[in-house]
Amino acid sequence: MFNYRVYWTFAKKSFLRSAVYRFDVWSRLGSNIIFLLMWGSIWTALYAGKEEAGGVSFEAMLTYIVVSQFLTGVNGAGTPLWEIQEKVRTGDIALELMRPFDVPLRYLFADFGSVAFYIVTALLPLYTVLFIFMDVALPTDWLTWVYFIIASVIGFLIRYCIEMSFGLLTFFLVETGGIEDIFYFAMSLLSGSVIPLWFFPDWLATIAIYLPFQGIYYIPNSIFIGEIAGLEILTSIGIQLFWVVVTYLVLRLIWSRASKKVIVQGG
Amino acid sequence: MPIIEVEHLMKDFKIAKRETGFAGALKSLVKREFITKEAVKDISFTINEGEMVGYIGPNGAGKSTTIKMLTGILVPSGGHVRVNGIVPYEDRQENAKNIGVVFGQRTQLWWDLPTIESFELLKEIYQVSNERYKENMATFIDILGLDEFLNTPVRQLSLGQRMRADIAASLLHDPPILFLDEPTIGLDVVAKERMRTFIKEINKERNITVILTTHDMEDIEQLCERMVLIDHGQKVYDGEISVVKNRFGKIRTLVVDLEESKRTLQLMNGEVFKEEANRYWIRFNREEVSASEIINQITKTHNIKDLTVEEPEIESIISRIYQEGFEEISEPVRN
Repeated sequence: MFNYRVYWTFAKKSFLRSAVYRFDVWSRLGSNIIFLLMWGSIWTALYAGKEEAGGVSFEAMLTYIVVSQFLTGVNGAGTPLWEIQEKVRTGDIALELMRPFDVPLRYLFADFGSVAFYIVTALLPLYTVLFIFMDVALPTDWLTWVYFIIASVIGFLIRYCIEMSFGLLTFFLVETGGIEDIFYFAMSLLSGSVIPLWFFPDWLATIAIYLPFQGIYYIPNSIFIGEIAGLEILTSIGIQLFWVVVTYLVLRLIWSRASKKVIVQGG
Repeated sequence: MPIIEVEHLMKDFKIAKRETGFAGALKSLVKREFITKEAVKDISFTINEGEMVGYIGPNGAGKSTTIKMLTGILVPSGGHVRVNGIVPYEDRQENAKNIGVVFGQRTQLWWDLPTIESFELLKEIYQVSNERYKENMATFIDILGLDEFLNTPVRQLSLGQRMRADIAASLLHDPPILFLDEPTIGLDVVAKERMRTFIKEINKERNITVILTTHDMEDIEQLCERMVLIDHGQKVYDGEISVVKNRFGKIRTLVVDLEESKRTLQLMNGEVFKEEANRYWIRFNREEVSASEIINQITKTHNIKDLTVEEPEIESIISRIYQEGFEEISEPVRN
């Protein structure tokens, strides 16, 4: 039984909670800008005055990075991996088992709240200014915007399922350093967040294409700059949908195993 | 009518055995051995609607494990549990609506937000109607004085305030059953008293069944008529509190620090059961002799540097029950 109001309340309260941590919002925004400048200059240097590389114009590449940083901000505003791990270690998550709601969904809706707060108060104002003053290529077709938003939302859900699954693995492991490394490596490189997949060596590109991470950044970014266009947009979103289903099922499996372990083993 | 039924309840935990040394570490990478720990061995009891029962035992006796099985977050390894007609672990979410839980050691409130926000969240979680929510809040504000800090973030509350908020939060959805796990731990005397008054009141006025675990003898004496005493996962005693109190509650311990220990301490009415350097632990029966009489006796031969009188602790009562047993008591063990 899905009780919509419970989850909606989680989103609302989480929105309010973010407002308490204003400094956190500013510091995130600061580091987001620093990374944007860093990747912007790296790509400027790599293009070295050339108009085009790998069939992609410098302007499009710069846009790719800006959009990517925007999405990084969005995805980073949810419950971070370490916090999920912490909740598992302290047993807080296990205690939520005795409440009449679904735990993974409750965290997803709480994330919606904090992400909404961060987007409205920080990301949107900043990136609106950036798009106005920077030399970036905005989609002219409104349909592209729609596809981009859809792809970004699905990407967010994929990221959520993956991050939550990794976090819940803490139930089964004494130490999670290795797990964290894999997660952050995949999130930064394999997702195409800083280097688009078309610049990957073939073998790595092949690996990345068969993994869910590209759905988080690479697909929405590429739709935005028009590198994925036409019919390809629909197949890309299809791939994303496939991965969101798969990662959701994995999350469900891990969660049911984890809660079973808690109730049998005492966490 | 029994509202909680527990029959031959058991719970084992498998704990991975850690082996020492490098070879052990390598071995455990491949094959891990497990030790089975029986947290709850065989416990049975029933609790009637409206009863207030102290569930008592030393640390590690299996109290929290039992409570967790009653709330449904642990599955028993054996035996049966029924809470308000529901098997908790089979229908955790349904069971959740019938119970309120307070853990003295942790909070169920949202840490960063004003206290009122947590109440509003719980209102939605348990789908409490607007009118009922208002009524309950009015009552809790009245008795617990919540209005002092409703708009203060939970992290800034004192422990006493936080506990008051926590117990109110656990009762917002009118559960017929309330589990209190050490609700007065760490509170000062005034706050403890306030807590106890509140618990008594809701038990009487709302006929809420209360199960209380605590290490504070005062809590049990003031709140419960009946106690279930467990140790090492087994029931040691189940019956009226007055029996235990009359029998063991009279015993006090006097701890004295003496200046020198040339002579050994000889007492008429007290028993020295432990000594360490110049510190002596003396057990005496409050009804046979007063603390001041014993102190007088000591000062005749020794100089006292410091002294304290200790109330009997659960642990010492349990060990005395073990030593002396309950055979002489006519009250039969309830089941």
